[in-house]
Amino acid sequence: MRESPPRPWLPLLLLVLGLLILVFHDAGYLAPVENVLHFVLDPLQRLVSGVTGAAGGLFETVRDVRELRAQVEELQAQVDALTVENVRLREYEAGVQQYRALLNFASEYPAYLGADVIGQGACETFPCGEVVGTEPNPYLRYVTINVGARQGVEVGMPVVGGGAGLVGRVTQVYPRTAQVRLLTDLDSAIAALLQTSRVTGLVVGQPDDTLLMELIPQEENITVGDIVLTSGLGGFVPKGLVIGQVTEVQQMDYALFQTAIVRPAVDFARLEQVLVITAFEPRPPEEPPPEEP
Amino acid sequence: MLQSVLLSRVNLWGARPDLMLLVVLAWAMVRNVEEGLLWAFIGGLILDLLSGGPLGAISLALVAVAFLAGRPWGRGAVTAPVLGSPLISLLLLAFLGVVVYHLTLLFILTLMGYAVDWRFALTRVIGPSALLNVSLVPFVWQPLTWLERRTRRERFVL
Repeated sequence: MRESPPRPWLPLLLLVLGLLILVFHDAGYLAPVENVLHFVLDPLQRLVSGVTGAAGGLFETVRDVRELRAQVEELQAQVDALTVENVRLREYEAGVQQYRALLNFASEYPAYLGADVIGQGACETFPCGEVVGTEPNPYLRYVTINVGARQGVEVGMPVVGGGAGLVGRVTQVYPRTAQVRLLTDLDSAIAALLQTSRVTGLVVGQPDDTLLMELIPQEENITVGDIVLTSGLGGFVPKGLVIGQVTEVQQMDYALFQTAIVRPAVDFARLEQVLVITAFEPRPPEEPPPEEP
Repeated sequence: MLQSVLLSRVNLWGARPDLMLLVVLAWAMVRNVEEGLLWAFIGGLILDLLSGGPLGAISLALVAVAFLAGRPWGRGAVTAPVLGSPLISLLLLAFLGVVVYHLTLLFILTLMGYAVDWRFALTRVIGPSALLNVSLVPFVWQPLTWLERRTRRERFVL
């Protein structure tokens, strides 16, 4: 039996092929091929995710029982306190409804505010997905979720986790899955504001999985612990979604702006379930008023 | 699949175990450069499909590693070991392979317009990843060596 003859042209062929794939993918010509390949790969990925999840769950069960007992006791105490606060907050809500009516507030995004999005009925309105894969490239921050075009997901849609915390935005959609760019990706940039001072800025991802809020005017006071929310500016993401919390302020006298390090509200390492906001209509850019002759 | 579903979640001081990289590296050294290149290309393409990055990036980076490891001087590093020890030669070559993989990835991402923090990558990612994956090479090497022996096509000499 003879060995196959050497093929010295193979490295060059693969290099050229790889470069062609890069170029054609960037130009968008390979989308039909990628869809077909994803049609084959996605069920396999979901299967592996399910199997590894079940296997991991078995090992965690014993350890979790003890932890769960302690958590139950702690949560019971919290429930008692929250019941009292709930009554108080319902009074506030009634007042807010009246103010909104008075200001003729358009309430264009009624479904995303606070816990209403991730409430029990949310998955009946918006597609809820599970994270079935994380990014294999060490320099990018994406996750794969198991909802796609068939569930009405489109490119650009915001994705949230528990507590209306912003996870990221959909960047690629396949029939049954979608790619979500996380807030911590270096290419991510979200218009934001601070909850207390209403100061606006831009939140960008950092390579160490934190967030940086930049373009904050020097004269503004930023408080450590302040909550960072989406501002809705630009019309890409609804207003009021939780981004994170300020942990450090960086202010230098010679700089035009100050920056703040933000701890994300969502634990991306433990992200399991997400919700895609499909009913959000991006605002078109406002046209400037016509100049008077 | 395991790389995307399970191992990508592991993070040790910025380092992640890269099973596909280790398999390609070891197979190119154990078998030959052509098989290493083919598996690098195919495996990398599958990872690219599961990635949010440019299609072909991981594939090209793995091809570069397979080419490096599968060259005669790469395979010879194990058969004719440096410093008298095949293990040291293997670990040194694996370290070089991991560095080449990461640098190729960074270069492709930069070329395709993705935001990359080179300083962070060079100081906080490549070094820890190289150390982690090099330490895992012996655990991948043994099974692949066994597999190579089992699947080797016998050459008959008359």
